[in-house]
Amino acid sequence: MKRLALYFLLPSLAVWVSAKETVPATRPANERFGKIQSAEEPSFRRHVLPLMSRTGCSGRECHGSFSGQGGFQLSLFGYSFDKDHLEITADTKDNVRVDLENPEKSLVLLKPTMQEKHKGKERIKKGSWEYNVILKWIQTGAKLDADKTGEFGRLEILPKEVVFKKAGDSVQLRVLAYWKDGTVEDVTLLTRFRTNDETVSTVTETGLVRAKESGDTHIVAFYDNGVLPVPVLQPVTAKNGSNYPKVAARTKVDELVVGKLRKLGVIPSDNCTDSEFLRRVSLDMSGTLPTPDEVTKFLADKSSNKRSAKVDELLKSPGYAAWWATRLNDSTGNNPRRLQAGNQGVNGDTFSRQWYDWIYKRVSENEPYDKLAAGIILATGRTKPEQSYKEFATEMGSYFRNEERADFAGRPNMPYFWQRQNVRKPEEKALAFAHSFLGVRIECAECHKHPFDQWTQTDFKQFQAFFEPIQYGTRPGAKDEEVTFQTATKSLRDSIGTNVAANAVQKMQAEAFRSRLDKGEVLPWQEVFISGNSRPNLTPKQLEALKARNANMAGRVLTPKILGGGEVPLGSMGDPRVPLMEWLRSKDNPYFARSFVNRVWANYFGRGIVEPADDMNLANPPVNKELLDYLSDGFVSHGYDMKWLHREIVNSDTYQRSWKPTASNKLDDKNFSRYVIRRLPAEIVIDAISQATASTEALPKFSANVMERAIGPNVTAYGRGNGARATTDYALNLFGKPVRETNCDCERTADPTLLQTIYTRNDPEFLARIETARRNVPSWIEELNKANSASKGKPVGTDSKPELNIEKLITEAFLRTVSRVPTAVELAQGKADIAAAKDTITGLRDLLWAMLNTREFMVNH
Amino acid sequence: MAKHVFCDGLARRDFLKVGGLAGIGLSLSDYFALNSAGAVSAAKGKSAIFVRLAGGPTHMDTFDLKPNAPDTHRGEFNEIATNVPGMRISEHLPKLAKCADKYVILRGVSHTLAAHELGTVYMGTGNRPIPSLKYPFYGAVVSKELKASAELPSFVAIPNQGNYPTGYLGPEFGPFETGAAPVAGKALEVRGLSLRNGVTLTDVERRQDMLKRYDSAFGDFANQDKLLAGMDLFGQKAFSMMRSERSRLAFDLSKESKSITDLYGQDGFSQSCLLATRLVESGVRFVSVSIGGWDTHSNNFTSLKTRLSPSLDAGLAGLFESLHQKGLLESTTVFVTGEFGRTPKINKTAGRDHYPRAMFCVMAGGGIKGGQVIGASDEKGEGPKDRAITPDDVAASFYKTLGIDATKEYNTPSGRPVMVVRNGKPIDELFA
Repeated sequence: MKRLALYFLLPSLAVWVSAKETVPATRPANERFGKIQSAEEPSFRRHVLPLMSRTGCSGRECHGSFSGQGGFQLSLFGYSFDKDHLEITADTKDNVRVDLENPEKSLVLLKPTMQEKHKGKERIKKGSWEYNVILKWIQTGAKLDADKTGEFGRLEILPKEVVFKKAGDSVQLRVLAYWKDGTVEDVTLLTRFRTNDETVSTVTETGLVRAKESGDTHIVAFYDNGVLPVPVLQPVTAKNGSNYPKVAARTKVDELVVGKLRKLGVIPSDNCTDSEFLRRVSLDMSGTLPTPDEVTKFLADKSSNKRSAKVDELLKSPGYAAWWATRLNDSTGNNPRRLQAGNQGVNGDTFSRQWYDWIYKRVSENEPYDKLAAGIILATGRTKPEQSYKEFATEMGSYFRNEERADFAGRPNMPYFWQRQNVRKPEEKALAFAHSFLGVRIECAECHKHPFDQWTQTDFKQFQAFFEPIQYGTRPGAKDEEVTFQTATKSLRDSIGTNVAANAVQKMQAEAFRSRLDKGEVLPWQEVFISGNSRPNLTPKQLEALKARNANMAGRVLTPKILGGGEVPLGSMGDPRVPLMEWLRSKDNPYFARSFVNRVWANYFGRGIVEPADDMNLANPPVNKELLDYLSDGFVSHGYDMKWLHREIVNSDTYQRSWKPTASNKLDDKNFSRYVIRRLPAEIVIDAISQATASTEALPKFSANVMERAIGPNVTAYGRGNGARATTDYALNLFGKPVRETNCDCERTADPTLLQTIYTRNDPEFLARIETARRNVPSWIEELNKANSASKGKPVGTDSKPELNIEKLITEAFLRTVSRVPTAVELAQGKADIAAAKDTITGLRDLLWAMLNTREFMVNH
Repeated sequence: MAKHVFCDGLARRDFLKVGGLAGIGLSLSDYFALNSAGAVSAAKGKSAIFVRLAGGPTHMDTFDLKPNAPDTHRGEFNEIATNVPGMRISEHLPKLAKCADKYVILRGVSHTLAAHELGTVYMGTGNRPIPSLKYPFYGAVVSKELKASAELPSFVAIPNQGNYPTGYLGPEFGPFETGAAPVAGKALEVRGLSLRNGVTLTDVERRQDMLKRYDSAFGDFANQDKLLAGMDLFGQKAFSMMRSERSRLAFDLSKESKSITDLYGQDGFSQSCLLATRLVESGVRFVSVSIGGWDTHSNNFTSLKTRLSPSLDAGLAGLFESLHQKGLLESTTVFVTGEFGRTPKINKTAGRDHYPRAMFCVMAGGGIKGGQVIGASDEKGEGPKDRAITPDDVAASFYKTLGIDATKEYNTPSGRPVMVVRNGKPIDELFA
């Protein structure tokens, strides 16, 4: 029987105490291999392969390509030792890649030195130390030594941080590799280096770092399985460190952000105005434009804590729950077209809506995030383990029948994450899980060693093993069950009779399904289940024992590994997602809390502390580690309280900075020294347009009720309506609403495009929204027109013909769109424009059009 | 500045620096690049017209007849000769028979995806669909690669293009959708471009003038901030497109000469083809035209005889002839395809079902040598005879006519490098 063991590869790098620094490192490679006669015997794993990687031989455009080059194929990034060794030493018909008898005639030396024609040009010089590494390796038998070298430990880079004074300055890095056998090698010349921002600093092949423009970034070193970034910084102004002026840091977040700004000599922007704050936080936090009334009241409010009071108010609003449900639906991949349920008379939209509702309820009740995630991760179709098929099917039916429909959101768990058609295979489940709950992209490791992290292909395969038993389909029933999926299927089929044309069966069956559903009958439902689930789950005691055996539950890579004599027999594992969830909840898990914190931060600042927000890897370090640590630790210690996190962020001065730059922060768009202007997200733009154009009576209703909103429950990934149909919402798609089909936060786009501009300038749908009713929401202009025409013929000055107060109308147009009152200049302009128009309402209509087309409306600022 | 890194270890240069604007995201920087650099290529094709035969047309009853196949397969139609010796097509395509020297028939095109959506993606992108990636359709790639005109969109879909045509390239390269097929002798209204809802050119100009004055909240910073400056550029371009006389004329079929309109039928498909030629003439880079109804599970022969073939015949023949007469055929690639062929064996309801193993495509213009049949299906039309032509090869050939390197790599937003066509090689005979 297969035995499954949990083991945790490599603890996080920070945990490694550099006790071995006292061990002297080897001399650098150019000295060790400089002279062929006295050269040491090179190691295949430690020297030859890293050299081939550094010189580009195993790069993607050369022999690392999946089809190789010129018939010679190496593993991308050189981490398949056996395979690469075989490839390098295997002779082809005419050529001898490695010639043990005449080492210098080996093709692996003739080609890169251009002694033989080489499409990849000269990579190394004959007689150089690089040449000698390969030559000596062949002379000493071209041995594969991956087993002998043992496991790689960690990298160290000296200096640990680079601070430049001015452009042009340079620093030489030194890279040491610590092997688990105790060896410490200077691998500077065998390391690949990369800069994360070549405008700030560059790095040469040999590790010479040179300062360019001011700012901060990282240089990343890659050697064997080690990936280590070293921070590089060049202050923007001389007012840094002890010269930094006094900048208030009201909250812990401010303190940590200003701490970084102090190093850079960047002065943050001033605090934003009240009207800017109200508009900004309403849109960012609750996806909703403030109503004109709200703006007026907020500006008139004289209390000193009105901003934090507004935050508390917004956190209770349906807009908050709807917008964050939408974001969680994005990251968990709620897509109706992937939720079609075969022959069942239920379309994907209903599943999709239930998924939304389930999350909405939890966000609005502020259920702890770990509990919310567990409700998805650990979900099965049956809500109780002892549930029979009949009970399960009856319960499922209750969520779909038309009358007295049960509340799906009240279910303890939500299994549709595992039900999607695009996550049927275990590797697809692994990728989706990693994206949704870890904020990690591991797809690279599916085919080759992850280029920016320690994930290897083996790690991926072993991680994937967690997901193999998760199934969606027909769960084998107990022998004595009175009703099973099969009997329910047969009964459904029988109900449509036998005399039915073959091509009509499906339709009739779906109709029968629907009508029986409404009668509350037992129907065939497929379900999410754990295969081979007769075995019991781990008891809490067993789980504790398991955790105790794996003391470091905080490893970056969690892999259940099938070992000959593993500690945890597969049979006792039960649901493998249970230990997976334990790992997520374990103290110092590097991903689970951090990925959520980072995504929430990214929502408020337009970029994550790690950016892209769903791409956490060793080579992509946070721009402010202390900040991410503080928020993640706080989030966990506050019991994964989502509202704590939101408050902590938006109540800071950091969030409330003006968009107006200071002399030193104009170019800073990643250290949070000012509010970076960005386009509103798709759903929010569309809702804002609807709200700003709605009639006086409809506007506050639209704002307060999310049912009709693009962030509300009736809009799936494709927009409103039946996701089964090939229709999508034109405008939502245009403004970059994600369809949630691929595992990437990048599906949501905030880039402006020409088509978006054309939409707000001249699209008939958009123009109609200004002028007429839309989905029973009458428009403001229509309302004014009606009032005006109703009064025609009546004597001027009577109550039925209210005078149009032009100043008031102009002010309202501003409040509706840009959430502020017009300046005196704007008011005068507005009056002149309206006076020049054919009539007042036409003038006002054009003003509303213009305001909706301003960048001030289209962006958050 | 966000730094995206690729699976393969290369750092992506996120933003192209154009003038003083260091880009505001991939799409906008691409847009700048297109407008500043343009695409210089030696290829003959400068524009493309993609004709989509939605539903999956039967190859056996259109361009790949099998007169010697058994009754169970052959079908009701006869072959006729064309103006190219040896090149024979259905008797219900008489106009196309008279201009066979203009186009190439690809037979024995073959794949394995028998569902409409999957087949459409494969034939519309040249890449076999996979769940983890959405490939861009031809129009998105072409509008990314070829320089756009200042006043006209580079990609127009008549009447629309279906879902997510731009795939991983993002909405920037999406089509202008006309929403409806044009009507003979009338100007077609185009979503966002045409002045509708009672809006006049004077209104547009007045509003633009107003907008300029009210859009001043950010002061000088609006010129320094990349996002704000970029949005302003789009605003200027949108304004010039809305006002463009050239654009208005291009969409107005009443402005076409009689000698050209006479080449076409009166139905929506013919008029769409006519519009496509006018758009290409005006500088649009990619036009997609669609003719549906090919999903003939029953009554295949009646549908073809009475409706589908005559419509296709008039529209396509008109397209080839008018492009030729306007001198545009050399510089315009025409690519006609459905998502698959149909079962060679006739079913019980006189229909044919989905069949991707053997299908046909028609290509013309853009340096393609017309008047030939490339590839062949076997005796009963059940599969390729000798070599299968893959959708990938067809795609690579299509891009070649436009001077677009199909092996060029794009980087998806998640940082994955993907070739435009991942597995295709151009078909040499097309260019012989």
